[in-house]
Amino acid sequence: MCRASVLSGLSILLMCSAGPALAHAAEQGFVLLLPTQAYAIGGTMTVAASIVLVTCLPIDILERFFRPVTLPHTLALRGVAAGSSWVGTGVFLGLIWIGWAGPTDPQENLLPLTLWTVWWIALFVVQGLVMDIWRWVNPWTGPASLLARRAPPLRLPERWQAWPAVLIFVLFQCFILADIAPSDPPRLAAFAFGYWVFTLAGMSLCGADRWGRQVECFTVLFQLIGTLRPVHLWHRAKAGAPGWFSLSSGPLDSSHAVFCLVILASGSFDGLHETFWWLAKLGINPLEFPGRSAVIWPSTIGLIGANLALVAVFAFSIWIGVRALAALGKSPPLPFGLAFNTFAISILPIALGYHFSHYLVSFMVQIQYVLIALGDPLGRGVTLFGLADLRVTTGFLNTADTVKVIWLTQAFAVVFSHVLSVLMAHHMASKFCRSNKDMLLLQVGLSVLMIFYTIFGLWLLAAPRGA
Amino acid sequence: MSNGKTQINRRTALKGLGAGTLAASGVLPGSLGFAQAQSSAPIKIGFQKHATGIGAAYGRWYDATTTAAVARINDMGGINGRPVEIVTEDDGTDPKRGAEVLEKFATQHNCDVAFGTLFSHVVIGSAPRAGELKLPYFVVSEGHHVASGMLNRYTLQPGITDVKSQVKSMAPFVGDNLGKKVTMIYPDFAFGHDHRDFFSEAIEAQGGEVVAKIAIPPTETSFTRYFPNIPRETEVVYHVMVGPGVLTFVKELGEFFGPSRPEIFGFIDSLEAVSINSPGLEFLEGTYFWEGNPRHAQANQTEFDKAYREAVGVDEMGASTADAKDVSTYAHMFGCWETLNIIKAGMESADYQGPGDRAKLIEAVEAMTDMPESMDHPQGPKRFNGKTHQTFGVQYISKVENGKLVVQHTASIEDGMYEDEVDYTTQSF
Repeated sequence: MCRASVLSGLSILLMCSAGPALAHAAEQGFVLLLPTQAYAIGGTMTVAASIVLVTCLPIDILERFFRPVTLPHTLALRGVAAGSSWVGTGVFLGLIWIGWAGPTDPQENLLPLTLWTVWWIALFVVQGLVMDIWRWVNPWTGPASLLARRAPPLRLPERWQAWPAVLIFVLFQCFILADIAPSDPPRLAAFAFGYWVFTLAGMSLCGADRWGRQVECFTVLFQLIGTLRPVHLWHRAKAGAPGWFSLSSGPLDSSHAVFCLVILASGSFDGLHETFWWLAKLGINPLEFPGRSAVIWPSTIGLIGANLALVAVFAFSIWIGVRALAALGKSPPLPFGLAFNTFAISILPIALGYHFSHYLVSFMVQIQYVLIALGDPLGRGVTLFGLADLRVTTGFLNTADTVKVIWLTQAFAVVFSHVLSVLMAHHMASKFCRSNKDMLLLQVGLSVLMIFYTIFGLWLLAAPRGA
Repeated sequence: MSNGKTQINRRTALKGLGAGTLAASGVLPGSLGFAQAQSSAPIKIGFQKHATGIGAAYGRWYDATTTAAVARINDMGGINGRPVEIVTEDDGTDPKRGAEVLEKFATQHNCDVAFGTLFSHVVIGSAPRAGELKLPYFVVSEGHHVASGMLNRYTLQPGITDVKSQVKSMAPFVGDNLGKKVTMIYPDFAFGHDHRDFFSEAIEAQGGEVVAKIAIPPTETSFTRYFPNIPRETEVVYHVMVGPGVLTFVKELGEFFGPSRPEIFGFIDSLEAVSINSPGLEFLEGTYFWEGNPRHAQANQTEFDKAYREAVGVDEMGASTADAKDVSTYAHMFGCWETLNIIKAGMESADYQGPGDRAKLIEAVEAMTDMPESMDHPQGPKRFNGKTHQTFGVQYISKVENGKLVVQHTASIEDGMYEDEVDYTTQSF
């Protein structure tokens, strides 16, 4: 079906003369002029070197690297968090209303601008680097504290773990990647409001805590990403190297382990499905992209395929390590499930690094639209704080120097996140193994995977895009 | 639900015109001009904007030009005394979504007309729906599809010339000044094929010859291997590469030829929104370009071009006055300004009162012919062909001299004319 529609689309296109050059072609043009192959080799060698280096280091160095220090103050602000969640709820519902009743142009409407730029890009990164902002702004904690007072009538089975959240997250990614108009304000308002009501209903029936841990996919997502933060203030305030808290969270249950992989796979596919390479596979001319409507099924199937593929490849790399350890090592053999559920944690920094680098350019453009829309939230022609008089520019994408700086920043995020991942994986391996050789054996598959994923990530950054 | 913002507001007035202009006019919004209208309900124009998708860079500039044009129209009293309101919907540069957007304009927002689409495949995907909805659809696309007869009587392109006419009008200058033996290098899809076919026909009519046609696969990102196919006797290389590979193309072409190169002629489409002075484009010095509208202000700049730049917010280099590095899509966006003025003229000529007069509006526009260069038409004079629904205009040929595009020749309206391929006026509404 999708092949037929692509062909019919192409035959229509063949009858016409096409439009002019692509959006942001200048930025991509400059990227193509950069020595990205040299940068990619450098980045990959950095990751490879970190793998070698970490095996030579005495294990207690990593132990010390990831050990947190206790901070003098603790925070017990549960009540305040519920209160601020009411503010978050109010803002969310206000945005929904703006989606229904505000400007029709998605570049002027605060609903798509806030959800896709401020929440999906910025909050995600802040959550993983700075603070547990989701706890404060999510639109459920407040209302759920009212609605879910009594013992919940239904009980979610423990054995479901967080699999419902995994499924809902994949559906969400389908919406982002394959839906024909995810930024259309009324359409987005309907989806977002519907999900909000669904979640509130679920929390009322099954308990807010339970639902938030097993079904509400963003709470699960942000909790996982949030484990990467250097500073954690709840209960006992501690600070350490990024990822220290993730390490102490392991092993995960299999649903959370798979969730880590799904975050990375979905983000990777988001990058992949815009490339010339992918479009060529679909038989689509990248210079004449027919629009999202022409690729709904390929994008959906590709997304699901990418998730299955990464889970399979990761499982295989763990399995190789477990078998190598059993066959050639002296440490006690490790069950595959335990290894899978533990090492999946090391995927988290790569997922965060990818998210940052994939969305950086888009953020730099879209945040300008956000600021302007804040100056005129209802599209009535006012200008608050003079913001609405600002003008969007993409001049920084038009200049070789700034494009280079941006690209290198993105590449650095990819490389750094892989190096952190290597360190975390090695630390986890040390818990299972008695010797350096055994740690090498256990991670042999994972190390190869990390090197290939570095190459893939840097290739994605340099690859020309047509969609 | 109608969500378009009214155009009489401080923000768009400041964005679109200098604040001084508004103060000097002495007209307060909402007073005199509109109070005397028979109906002061706004005229609603649905702007089908490429806000997202591959056309987003153009969408932004089309939006800025549209806003400025409407601010000027409303400042002058609107259309038939009624203010103009722009209702913007994002078509995602997607043909299917474009058709949905037209539906929204017609049924949800109660727009009088729709306008503004650029990318050809979106026009082609949307126009049938416009016909079904009986919604006048003024496209700003450069595509030959309107004049080819492929579309319908509700679709018009009165504000921007089409690629067939542009290419044809280049041939006399190229043949007389640059050379008669031409090698064409183009991307191997519809856009490139149109250039290949239209220009071959036109240069042969001038006594010239296309000695080689080098079709580059659209996915190609390195071009050096194709250049040895350029015959030795080539006098002019005609190139229309588009996409992310353009900078690489120019750089590699320069490396291939070195200091002794044939004449080189290209279309500014390759470099819209890209600064001519970008690193990698040094080889373009001394080469020629078709320009829809000269990006760099010329020595003989008209008062119209000057005022138009000020209204839209671009400087004399065609970049944003807010950021000199933010180069605009100057060769295309004038189409929005001129099209909106034509809609105004058509509505006034037809004494347009409401959707019941849409057919009258189309007939009024079909009756238009010559439009002189003016504040309504700052790009240059136009001649509209009511039968084919396509306008013809002057075309500019510029040479890159010391990093500036300097107009060498202005092709006349007649240079670009071709035989009618359709007569939409014989079709019923």
